[in-house]
Amino acid sequence: MVSNQPFGFWQGLDPLTGTVIDQRHELCGTSLKGKAFFFPYGRGSTGTPGIFLEAVRNACAPAAIVNTKSEPMIVMCSLLAEAFFKVLIPIVDGLEGDPKSILKTGDWVRIDGTTGIIDVISRS
Amino acid sequence: MHLTEEERQILDGAFGEPQRIALNVLIKLGDAYGAERMVEIASAHIVGSSYQIAGEAGIEIYSKLVEQGAKVKVRTTCDPGSIDFSRWQVFKTPPDYAERQVKIAELLGQMGVIPTWTCTPYTAFNVPRYGEDLGWSESSAVIFANSVIGARTNRLAAYVDVCAALVGRVPRFGLHLPECRRGQVLFEVASELSDNFEDHFFPVLGYFVGQKAGDRIPVINGVQKATLDQLKAFGAAAAASGSVALYHMVGITPEARTLDEAYRGRQPADRTVVGRSEIDNTLEQMNTGDSGAVDIVGLGCPHASIDQMRRYAALLKGKYVHPSTELWICANTVVEDMARQMGYIETIERAGAKLMVGTCHNDCPLGAWNFRRLATDSGKFAYYTPTTVGTKCIFASTEACIEAAIRGRIGSL
Repeated sequence: MVSNQPFGFWQGLDPLTGTVIDQRHELCGTSLKGKAFFFPYGRGSTGTPGIFLEAVRNACAPAAIVNTKSEPMIVMCSLLAEAFFKVLIPIVDGLEGDPKSILKTGDWVRIDGTTGIIDVISRS
Repeated sequence: MHLTEEERQILDGAFGEPQRIALNVLIKLGDAYGAERMVEIASAHIVGSSYQIAGEAGIEIYSKLVEQGAKVKVRTTCDPGSIDFSRWQVFKTPPDYAERQVKIAELLGQMGVIPTWTCTPYTAFNVPRYGEDLGWSESSAVIFANSVIGARTNRLAAYVDVCAALVGRVPRFGLHLPECRRGQVLFEVASELSDNFEDHFFPVLGYFVGQKAGDRIPVINGVQKATLDQLKAFGAAAAASGSVALYHMVGITPEARTLDEAYRGRQPADRTVVGRSEIDNTLEQMNTGDSGAVDIVGLGCPHASIDQMRRYAALLKGKYVHPSTELWICANTVVEDMARQMGYIETIERAGAKLMVGTCHNDCPLGAWNFRRLATDSGKFAYYTPTTVGTKCIFASTEACIEAAIRGRIGSL
Protein backbone atom coordinates (compact mmCIF):
# COMPACT_ATOMS: atom_id res chain seq x y z
CA MET A 1 0.00 0.00 0.00
CA VAL A 2 1.74 3.14 -1.20
CA SER A 3 0.82 6.76 -0.52
CA ASN A 4 2.65 10.06 -0.84
CA GLN A 5 0.44 11.67 1.81
CA PRO A 6 1.36 11.77 5.52
CA PHE A 7 -0.80 9.53 7.70
CA GLY A 8 -2.09 9.61 11.27
CA PHE A 9 -3.35 6.37 12.81
CA TRP A 10 -5.26 8.31 15.47
CA GLN A 11 -8.56 9.13 13.75
CA GLY A 12 -7.10 7.71 10.54
CA LEU A 13 -7.55 3.96 11.06
CA ASP A 14 -10.50 1.87 12.21
CA PRO A 15 -8.75 -0.55 14.59
CA LEU A 16 -11.55 -3.11 14.38
CA THR A 17 -11.18 -3.62 10.60
CA GLY A 18 -7.85 -2.06 9.57
CA THR A 19 -9.67 0.30 7.16
CA VAL A 20 -8.52 3.89 6.57
CA ILE A 21 -11.28 6.22 7.81
CA ASP A 22 -9.66 9.65 7.41
CA GLN A 23 -11.89 11.26 4.80
CA ARG A 24 -9.16 13.70 3.81
CA HIS A 25 -6.77 10.84 2.93
CA GLU A 26 -6.39 9.30 -0.54
CA LEU A 27 -6.48 5.77 0.93
CA CYS A 28 -9.83 6.33 2.69
CA GLY A 29 -11.89 3.13 2.47
CA THR A 30 -8.98 0.79 1.76
CA SER A 31 -7.55 -1.73 4.21
CA LEU A 32 -4.04 -1.68 5.69
CA LYS A 33 -4.49 -5.07 7.35
CA GLY A 34 -1.43 -7.25 6.74
CA LYS A 35 -0.01 -4.83 4.14
CA ALA A 36 3.43 -3.25 3.88
CA PHE A 37 2.48 0.39 4.23
CA PHE A 38 4.71 3.00 2.53
CA PHE A 39 4.04 6.67 3.38
CA PRO A 40 6.28 9.71 3.85
CA TYR A 41 5.82 10.41 7.56
CA GLY A 42 3.36 9.98 10.39
CA ARG A 43 1.43 12.70 12.08
CA GLY A 44 -0.76 12.87 15.05
CA SER A 45 -1.71 12.69 18.61
CA THR A 46 0.17 11.15 21.52
CA GLY A 47 -2.79 8.74 21.64
CA THR A 48 -1.57 7.09 18.40
CA PRO A 49 -0.38 3.81 20.01
CA GLY A 50 -3.85 3.41 21.54
CA ILE A 51 -5.39 2.95 18.10
CA PHE A 52 -2.39 1.10 16.70
CA LEU A 53 -2.29 -1.52 19.47
CA GLU A 54 -6.04 -2.01 19.26
CA ALA A 55 -5.49 -2.86 15.57
CA VAL A 56 -2.60 -5.20 16.53
CA ARG A 57 -4.81 -6.91 19.09
CA ASN A 58 -7.47 -7.45 16.40
CA ALA A 59 -4.87 -8.66 13.86
CA CYS A 60 -5.75 -5.67 11.64
CA ALA A 61 -2.49 -3.70 11.76
CA PRO A 62 -0.12 -3.22 8.81
CA ALA A 63 2.57 -5.93 8.53
CA ALA A 64 5.39 -3.41 8.04
CA ILE A 65 5.86 0.36 7.73
CA VAL A 66 8.32 2.24 5.50
CA ASN A 67 8.74 6.03 5.79
CA THR A 68 10.95 8.77 4.43
CA LYS A 69 11.10 9.97 8.06
CA SER A 70 9.75 7.86 10.93
CA GLU A 71 8.66 10.09 13.78
CA PRO A 72 9.06 8.66 17.32
CA MET A 73 5.30 8.06 17.51
CA ILE A 74 5.46 5.41 14.75
CA VAL A 75 8.58 3.81 16.21
CA MET A 76 6.90 3.62 19.61
CA CYS A 77 3.90 1.80 18.06
CA SER A 78 6.16 -0.96 16.78
CA LEU A 79 8.13 -1.27 20.05
CA LEU A 80 4.89 -1.54 22.03
CA ALA A 81 3.39 -4.14 19.69
CA GLU A 82 6.42 -6.32 20.34
CA ALA A 83 6.52 -5.67 24.10
CA PHE A 84 2.84 -6.19 24.87
CA PHE A 85 1.48 -8.39 22.05
CA LYS A 86 4.64 -10.19 20.82
CA VAL A 87 3.86 -9.01 17.29
CA LEU A 88 6.82 -7.87 15.20
CA ILE A 89 6.12 -4.96 12.84
CA PRO A 90 9.32 -3.75 11.17
CA ILE A 91 9.68 0.00 10.64
CA VAL A 92 12.14 1.15 7.98
CA ASP A 93 13.10 4.81 7.90
CA GLY A 94 15.03 6.89 5.37
CA LEU A 95 13.25 6.00 2.14
CA GLU A 96 14.63 8.38 -0.50
CA GLY A 97 12.10 10.33 -2.52
CA ASP A 98 8.39 10.07 -3.09
CA PRO A 99 7.20 6.53 -2.18
CA LYS A 100 5.05 6.51 -5.33
CA SER A 101 8.07 7.07 -7.59
CA ILE A 102 9.60 3.84 -6.25
CA LEU A 103 6.67 1.46 -5.76
CA LYS A 104 3.01 1.06 -6.61
CA THR A 105 0.13 -0.25 -4.55
CA GLY A 106 -0.11 -3.96 -5.32
CA ASP A 107 3.63 -4.61 -5.68
CA TRP A 108 5.05 -7.40 -3.51
CA VAL A 109 8.05 -6.65 -1.31
CA ARG A 110 10.21 -8.40 1.27
CA ILE A 111 11.25 -6.13 4.16
CA ASP A 112 14.11 -6.83 6.54
CA GLY A 113 13.68 -4.58 9.56
CA THR A 114 17.16 -5.35 10.88
CA THR A 115 19.19 -4.41 7.80
CA GLY A 116 16.60 -2.01 6.37
CA ILE A 117 16.82 -3.79 2.99
CA ILE A 118 13.66 -3.90 0.89
CA ASP A 119 13.48 -6.40 -2.00
CA VAL A 120 10.87 -5.97 -4.70
CA ILE A 121 9.58 -9.49 -5.41
CA SER A 122 7.10 -8.68 -8.13
CA ARG A 123 5.51 -5.61 -9.69
CA SER A 124 1.76 -5.37 -10.05
CA MET B 1 23.41 2.82 25.33
CA HIS B 2 25.28 3.12 28.61
CA LEU B 3 23.30 1.47 31.43
CA THR B 4 23.74 1.91 35.16
CA GLU B 5 24.08 -1.04 37.52
CA GLU B 6 20.46 -0.61 38.61
CA GLU B 7 19.27 -0.53 34.99
CA ARG B 8 21.10 -3.80 34.29
CA GLN B 9 19.38 -5.34 37.28
CA ILE B 10 16.00 -4.11 36.02
CA LEU B 11 16.72 -5.79 32.67
CA ASP B 12 17.67 -9.00 34.49
CA GLY B 13 14.24 -8.97 36.08
CA ALA B 14 15.40 -8.18 39.63
CA PHE B 15 12.57 -5.64 40.04
CA GLY B 16 9.84 -7.68 38.37
CA GLU B 17 8.40 -8.22 34.92
CA PRO B 18 6.65 -4.82 34.45
CA GLN B 19 9.88 -2.86 34.99
CA ARG B 20 11.82 -5.26 32.75
CA ILE B 21 9.33 -4.86 29.89
CA ALA B 22 9.12 -1.09 30.40
CA LEU B 23 12.88 -0.49 30.40
CA ASN B 24 13.27 -2.67 27.32
CA VAL B 25 10.83 -0.49 25.37
CA LEU B 26 12.58 2.70 26.51
CA ILE B 27 16.07 1.41 25.65
CA LYS B 28 14.97 0.43 22.13
CA LEU B 29 13.39 3.85 21.68
CA GLY B 30 16.62 5.49 22.86
CA ASP B 31 18.69 3.29 20.53
CA ALA B 32 16.53 4.33 17.58
CA TYR B 33 17.19 8.02 18.32
CA GLY B 34 20.83 7.84 19.38
CA ALA B 35 20.43 8.30 23.15
CA GLU B 36 23.63 7.60 25.07
CA ARG B 37 21.94 6.94 28.39
CA MET B 38 18.70 7.09 30.34
CA VAL B 39 17.76 10.06 32.51
CA GLU B 40 15.73 9.98 35.74
CA ILE B 41 12.42 11.86 35.57
CA ALA B 42 10.63 13.91 38.24
CA SER B 43 7.17 12.90 37.06
CA ALA B 44 5.09 11.21 34.38
CA HIS B 45 1.79 12.20 32.79
CA ILE B 46 -0.07 9.46 30.90
CA VAL B 47 -2.53 9.76 28.05
CA GLY B 48 -3.84 6.19 27.75
CA SER B 49 -6.22 6.85 30.62
CA SER B 50 -9.15 7.37 28.27
CA TYR B 51 -11.09 4.34 27.00
CA GLN B 52 -11.41 6.10 23.64
CA ILE B 53 -7.61 5.93 23.28
CA ALA B 54 -6.77 2.75 25.21
CA GLY B 55 -9.71 0.60 24.18
CA GLU B 56 -9.72 -3.12 24.91
CA ALA B 57 -6.01 -3.36 24.08
CA GLY B 58 -5.32 -0.93 26.91
CA ILE B 59 -7.45 -2.86 29.39
CA GLU B 60 -5.57 -6.02 28.41
CA ILE B 61 -2.16 -4.34 28.85
CA TYR B 62 -3.02 -2.67 32.17
CA SER B 63 -4.64 -5.86 33.55
CA LYS B 64 -1.51 -7.83 32.78
CA LEU B 65 0.73 -5.19 34.34
CA VAL B 66 -1.41 -5.03 37.49
CA GLU B 67 -1.40 -8.84 37.72
CA GLN B 68 2.40 -8.70 37.61
CA GLY B 69 2.43 -6.17 40.46
CA ALA B 70 3.19 -2.99 38.47
CA LYS B 71 3.54 0.22 40.52
CA VAL B 72 4.57 3.65 39.23
CA LYS B 73 7.96 4.77 40.54
CA VAL B 74 7.48 8.55 40.20
CA ARG B 75 4.59 10.97 40.61
CA THR B 76 2.20 10.06 37.78
CA THR B 77 -0.94 11.91 36.78
CA CYS B 78 -3.48 11.00 34.10
CA ASP B 79 -5.18 12.71 31.17
CA PRO B 80 -8.98 13.06 30.87
CA GLY B 81 -11.07 9.90 30.76
CA SER B 82 -13.85 9.22 28.28
CA ILE B 83 -16.64 9.94 30.77
CA ASP B 84 -17.57 12.47 33.41
CA PHE B 85 -17.36 9.98 36.30
CA SER B 86 -20.17 11.53 38.33
CA ARG B 87 -22.42 12.78 35.51
CA TRP B 88 -21.98 10.44 32.53
CA GLN B 89 -25.73 9.90 32.22
CA VAL B 90 -26.20 13.66 31.72
CA PHE B 91 -23.91 13.43 28.69
CA LYS B 92 -25.77 10.35 27.33
CA THR B 93 -22.76 8.05 27.61
CA PRO B 94 -23.79 4.40 27.01
CA PRO B 95 -23.59 2.45 30.33
CA ASP B 96 -21.40 -0.35 28.91
CA TYR B 97 -18.95 2.29 27.65
CA ALA B 98 -18.87 3.99 31.07
CA GLU B 99 -18.24 0.60 32.67
CA ARG B 100 -15.10 0.06 30.55
CA GLN B 101 -13.78 3.52 31.53
CA VAL B 102 -14.38 2.70 35.22
CA LYS B 103 -12.37 -0.50 34.68
CA ILE B 104 -9.41 1.56 33.36
CA ALA B 105 -9.71 3.87 36.38
CA GLU B 106 -9.49 0.86 38.74
CA LEU B 107 -6.42 -0.52 36.97
CA LEU B 108 -4.58 2.82 36.92
CA GLY B 109 -5.46 3.29 40.60
CA GLN B 110 -3.91 -0.10 41.40
CA MET B 111 -0.69 1.03 39.73
CA GLY B 112 -0.62 4.17 41.88
CA VAL B 113 -1.61 6.75 39.24
CA ILE B 114 -3.06 9.98 40.71
CA PRO B 115 -6.60 10.27 39.24
CA THR B 116 -6.35 13.85 38.01
CA TRP B 117 -8.24 13.17 34.72
CA THR B 118 -6.97 16.38 33.23
CA CYS B 119 -4.95 17.68 30.29
CA THR B 120 -3.69 20.52 32.56
CA PRO B 121 -1.88 18.53 35.29
CA TYR B 122 0.41 21.54 35.78
CA THR B 123 -2.42 23.44 37.54
CA ALA B 124 -2.42 20.99 40.47
CA PHE B 125 -0.53 17.97 41.78
CA ASN B 126 2.01 17.75 38.96
CA VAL B 127 3.79 21.10 38.73
CA PRO B 128 7.22 20.79 37.07
CA ARG B 129 10.23 22.95 37.82
CA TYR B 130 12.50 24.73 35.32
CA GLY B 131 15.10 22.37 33.86
CA GLU B 132 13.52 19.21 35.29
CA ASP B 133 13.37 16.09 33.10
CA LEU B 134 9.87 14.61 32.68
CA GLY B 135 8.16 11.72 30.92
CA TRP B 136 4.93 13.26 29.70
CA SER B 137 2.36 12.63 26.98
CA GLU B 138 -0.63 14.85 26.05
CA SER B 139 0.58 17.25 23.40
CA SER B 140 -0.90 20.38 25.04
CA ALA B 141 0.67 19.56 28.43
CA VAL B 142 4.05 18.65 26.88
CA ILE B 143 4.24 21.98 25.02
CA PHE B 144 3.23 23.89 28.19
CA ALA B 145 5.80 22.12 30.41
CA ASN B 146 8.61 22.63 27.86
CA SER B 147 7.82 26.17 26.75
CA VAL B 148 6.12 28.01 29.60
CA ILE B 149 7.93 26.30 32.49
CA GLY B 150 11.21 25.28 30.84
CA ALA B 151 10.99 21.63 31.98
CA ARG B 152 12.28 18.99 29.54
CA THR B 153 10.21 16.27 27.93
CA ASN B 154 9.79 14.72 24.53
CA ARG B 155 6.27 13.99 23.32
CA LEU B 156 5.83 10.49 24.71
CA ALA B 157 2.89 8.38 23.63
CA ALA B 158 0.24 6.15 25.19
CA TYR B 159 1.87 3.18 27.06
CA VAL B 160 5.41 4.53 26.53
CA ASP B 161 4.43 7.08 29.20
CA VAL B 162 3.40 4.19 31.46
CA CYS B 163 6.78 2.53 30.80
CA ALA B 164 8.49 5.79 31.85
CA ALA B 165 6.35 5.94 35.01
CA LEU B 166 7.15 2.31 35.94
CA VAL B 167 10.95 2.78 35.81
CA GLY B 168 11.12 6.54 36.53
CA ARG B 169 13.34 7.11 33.51
CA VAL B 170 13.29 8.07 29.84
CA PRO B 171 15.99 7.79 27.15
CA ARG B 172 17.96 11.04 27.01
CA PHE B 173 17.55 12.44 23.49
CA GLY B 174 15.72 15.29 21.75
CA LEU B 175 14.33 17.94 24.09
CA HIS B 176 16.21 16.55 27.11
CA LEU B 177 19.41 17.90 25.52
CA PRO B 178 19.92 21.67 25.91
CA GLU B 179 21.46 21.90 22.42
CA CYS B 180 18.27 20.45 20.90
CA ARG B 181 16.08 23.17 22.39
CA ARG B 182 17.21 26.13 20.30
CA GLY B 183 14.70 27.91 18.07
CA GLN B 184 14.65 26.74 14.45
CA VAL B 185 12.09 28.90 12.68
CA LEU B 186 11.16 32.54 13.31
CA PHE B 187 7.68 34.05 13.33
CA GLU B 188 7.70 37.82 13.46
CA VAL B 189 4.38 39.30 14.58
CA ALA B 190 3.86 42.53 12.62
CA SER B 191 3.29 45.68 14.65
CA GLU B 192 -0.16 46.20 13.05
CA LEU B 193 -1.09 43.03 14.94
CA SER B 194 1.02 43.17 18.10
CA ASP B 195 -0.19 46.66 19.04
CA ASN B 196 -3.71 45.32 19.46
CA PHE B 197 -3.30 41.59 20.03
CA GLU B 198 -6.72 40.28 21.03
CA ASP B 199 -7.25 37.34 23.38
CA HIS B 200 -8.58 35.00 20.68
CA PHE B 201 -5.56 35.68 18.42
CA PHE B 202 -3.46 33.39 20.65
CA PRO B 203 -5.07 30.11 19.50
CA VAL B 204 -5.23 31.41 15.90
CA LEU B 205 -1.52 32.28 15.93
CA GLY B 206 -0.82 28.86 17.49
CA TYR B 207 -2.77 27.12 14.72
CA PHE B 208 -0.85 29.09 12.06
CA VAL B 209 2.55 28.47 13.68
CA GLY B 210 1.84 24.74 14.09
CA GLN B 211 0.96 24.34 10.42
CA LYS B 212 4.12 26.13 9.29
CA ALA B 213 6.57 24.78 11.88
CA GLY B 214 5.53 21.09 11.75
CA ASP B 215 7.87 19.39 14.22
CA ARG B 216 10.44 22.22 14.35
CA ILE B 217 10.92 24.63 17.27
CA PRO B 218 9.31 28.00 16.51
CA VAL B 219 10.43 31.35 17.93
CA ILE B 220 7.66 33.95 18.15
CA ASN B 221 8.81 37.54 18.31
CA GLY B 222 6.60 40.59 18.78
CA VAL B 223 3.98 39.42 21.27
CA GLN B 224 4.12 42.01 24.02
CA LYS B 225 2.42 40.20 26.88
CA ALA B 226 0.54 36.98 27.54
CA THR B 227 -1.32 35.35 30.42
CA LEU B 228 -0.84 31.68 31.34
CA ASP B 229 -4.24 30.91 29.81
CA GLN B 230 -3.24 32.60 26.56
CA LEU B 231 0.03 30.65 26.43
CA LYS B 232 -1.93 27.46 27.14
CA ALA B 233 -4.33 28.21 24.27
CA PHE B 234 -1.50 29.12 21.88
CA GLY B 235 0.48 25.95 22.66
CA ALA B 236 -2.49 23.58 22.48
CA ALA B 237 -3.32 24.86 18.98
CA ALA B 238 0.30 24.65 17.76
CA ALA B 239 0.67 21.11 19.16
CA ALA B 240 -2.53 20.02 17.38
CA SER B 241 -2.13 21.59 13.94
CA GLY B 242 1.60 20.70 13.91
CA SER B 243 3.66 18.47 16.17
CA VAL B 244 5.24 21.36 18.04
CA ALA B 245 6.56 20.25 21.46
CA LEU B 246 8.45 23.43 22.39
CA TYR B 247 8.15 27.09 21.39
CA HIS B 248 9.98 30.20 22.46
CA MET B 249 8.07 33.48 22.82
CA VAL B 250 10.64 36.23 23.08
CA GLY B 251 10.46 38.21 26.33
CA ILE B 252 7.78 35.88 27.69
CA THR B 253 8.98 32.25 27.97
CA PRO B 254 11.97 31.41 30.23
CA GLU B 255 14.43 30.16 27.60
CA ALA B 256 13.88 33.21 25.39
CA ARG B 257 14.50 36.33 27.42
CA THR B 258 16.04 37.72 24.21
CA LEU B 259 15.93 36.73 20.54
CA ASP B 260 19.57 35.63 20.76
CA GLU B 261 18.87 33.37 23.70
CA ALA B 262 16.00 31.72 21.79
CA TYR B 263 18.35 30.87 18.87
CA ARG B 264 21.33 30.09 21.09
CA GLY B 265 23.60 31.91 18.71
CA ARG B 266 22.47 30.32 15.46
CA GLN B 267 20.01 32.46 13.54
CA PRO B 268 17.32 30.38 11.80
CA ALA B 269 17.11 30.73 8.02
CA ASP B 270 13.35 30.48 7.88
CA ARG B 271 11.43 33.67 8.78
CA THR B 272 7.70 34.34 8.46
CA VAL B 273 5.96 37.64 9.10
CA VAL B 274 2.49 37.29 10.65
CA GLY B 275 0.09 40.12 9.96
CA ARG B 276 -3.62 40.64 9.86
CA SER B 277 -4.04 38.68 6.61
CA GLU B 278 -2.29 35.56 8.03
CA ILE B 279 -4.66 35.69 11.03
CA ASP B 280 -7.70 36.12 8.76
CA ASN B 281 -6.66 33.27 6.43
CA THR B 282 -6.08 30.95 9.40
CA LEU B 283 -9.46 31.88 10.88
CA GLU B 284 -11.03 30.89 7.58
CA GLN B 285 -9.37 27.45 7.76
CA MET B 286 -10.44 26.94 11.37
CA ASN B 287 -14.05 27.61 10.44
CA THR B 288 -15.56 24.66 8.62
CA GLY B 289 -19.08 26.00 9.14
CA ASP B 290 -20.86 29.24 8.24
CA SER B 291 -22.67 31.57 10.57
CA GLY B 292 -26.12 30.43 11.68
CA ALA B 293 -27.66 28.07 14.24
CA VAL B 294 -25.28 26.36 16.66
CA ASP B 295 -26.27 23.28 18.67
CA ILE B 296 -23.18 22.87 20.85
CA VAL B 297 -20.74 25.38 22.30
CA GLY B 298 -17.55 23.89 23.76
CA LEU B 299 -15.31 25.76 26.19
CA GLY B 300 -12.46 24.57 28.39
CA CYS B 301 -10.02 23.01 25.90
CA PRO B 302 -7.50 22.60 27.40
CA HIS B 303 -9.31 22.31 30.73
CA ALA B 304 -10.45 25.69 32.08
CA SER B 305 -8.53 27.49 34.83
CA ILE B 306 -10.19 29.25 37.77
CA ASP B 307 -9.62 32.57 35.96
CA GLN B 308 -11.53 31.28 32.95
CA MET B 309 -14.35 30.00 35.17
CA ARG B 310 -14.67 33.47 36.65
CA ARG B 311 -14.85 34.94 33.16
CA TYR B 312 -17.53 32.44 32.02
CA ALA B 313 -19.59 33.13 35.16
CA ALA B 314 -19.38 36.89 34.60
CA LEU B 315 -20.53 36.52 30.98
CA LEU B 316 -23.38 34.16 31.93
CA LYS B 317 -24.65 36.01 34.99
CA GLY B 318 -28.38 36.57 34.68
CA LYS B 319 -28.45 35.10 31.14
CA TYR B 320 -29.95 31.88 29.77
CA VAL B 321 -28.51 29.42 27.29
CA HIS B 322 -30.82 29.03 24.28
CA PRO B 323 -33.15 26.01 24.65
CA SER B 324 -31.91 24.36 21.43
CA THR B 325 -28.22 24.89 22.25
CA GLU B 326 -25.90 23.12 24.68
CA LEU B 327 -23.05 24.95 26.42
CA TRP B 328 -20.47 22.61 27.93
CA ILE B 329 -17.50 23.80 29.97
CA CYS B 330 -14.68 21.30 30.58
CA ALA B 331 -12.50 21.44 33.68
CA ASN B 332 -10.73 19.27 36.25
CA THR B 333 -11.99 18.45 39.74
CA VAL B 334 -9.64 20.90 41.46
CA VAL B 335 -10.90 23.86 39.45
CA GLU B 336 -14.47 22.55 39.81
CA ASP B 337 -14.14 22.55 43.59
CA MET B 338 -12.68 26.08 43.71
CA ALA B 339 -15.27 27.38 41.24
CA ARG B 340 -18.05 25.89 43.35
CA GLN B 341 -16.74 27.59 46.48
CA MET B 342 -16.50 30.88 44.58
CA GLY B 343 -20.13 30.58 43.44
CA TYR B 344 -19.17 30.47 39.73
CA ILE B 345 -20.71 27.05 39.17
CA GLU B 346 -24.03 28.12 40.61
CA THR B 347 -24.08 31.05 38.15
CA ILE B 348 -23.01 28.85 35.23
CA GLU B 349 -25.55 26.12 35.98
CA ARG B 350 -28.35 28.56 36.67
CA ALA B 351 -27.79 29.89 33.14
CA GLY B 352 -28.36 26.36 31.82
CA ALA B 353 -24.74 25.54 30.94
CA LYS B 354 -23.26 22.16 31.85
CA LEU B 355 -19.99 21.54 33.62
CA MET B 356 -18.09 18.56 32.17
CA VAL B 357 -15.46 17.31 34.61
CA GLY B 358 -12.52 15.00 33.98
CA THR B 359 -13.24 14.59 30.28
CA CYS B 360 -14.08 16.70 27.21
CA HIS B 361 -15.97 16.79 23.91
CA ASN B 362 -13.00 15.18 22.13
CA ASP B 363 -12.80 12.21 24.49
CA CYS B 364 -16.47 11.36 25.06
CA PRO B 365 -18.74 9.31 22.78
CA LEU B 366 -21.29 11.91 21.62
CA GLY B 367 -23.12 9.86 18.97
CA ALA B 368 -26.44 10.09 20.83
CA TRP B 369 -26.50 13.90 20.51
CA ASN B 370 -26.40 14.24 16.70
CA PHE B 371 -24.54 17.53 16.94
CA ARG B 372 -24.04 19.26 13.60
CA ARG B 373 -22.48 22.63 14.40
CA LEU B 374 -20.07 23.33 17.20
CA ALA B 375 -18.69 26.70 18.26
CA THR B 376 -15.50 26.87 20.30
CA ASP B 377 -12.81 29.28 21.43
CA SER B 378 -10.17 26.52 21.28
CA GLY B 379 -7.75 26.06 18.39
CA LYS B 380 -7.25 22.43 19.43
CA PHE B 381 -11.00 21.70 19.40
CA ALA B 382 -11.26 23.49 16.05
CA TYR B 383 -8.61 21.13 14.67
CA TYR B 384 -10.04 17.88 16.09
CA THR B 385 -13.82 18.14 16.50
CA PRO B 386 -14.68 17.91 12.78
CA THR B 387 -13.40 14.30 13.01
CA THR B 388 -13.94 13.41 16.70
CA VAL B 389 -17.43 14.84 17.09
CA GLY B 390 -18.23 14.87 13.37
CA THR B 391 -19.53 18.44 13.40
CA LYS B 392 -18.93 21.55 11.41
CA CYS B 393 -16.85 23.86 13.58
CA ILE B 394 -16.95 27.59 14.11
CA PHE B 395 -14.04 29.17 15.94
CA ALA B 396 -14.72 32.42 17.80
CA SER B 397 -13.63 34.42 20.84
CA THR B 398 -14.81 33.30 24.29
CA GLU B 399 -17.27 36.21 24.40
CA ALA B 400 -18.66 35.38 20.95
CA CYS B 401 -19.02 31.69 21.92
CA ILE B 402 -21.02 32.49 25.04
CA GLU B 403 -23.10 35.00 23.09
CA ALA B 404 -23.77 32.22 20.53
CA ALA B 405 -24.90 29.87 23.31
CA ILE B 406 -27.34 32.50 24.55
CA ARG B 407 -28.69 33.42 21.08
CA GLY B 408 -28.56 29.87 19.71
CA ARG B 409 -26.75 31.12 16.65
CA ILE B 410 -23.50 32.73 15.69
CA GLY B 411 -22.74 35.62 13.36
CA SER B 412 -19.54 35.70 11.35
CA LEU B 413 -16.58 36.77 13.45
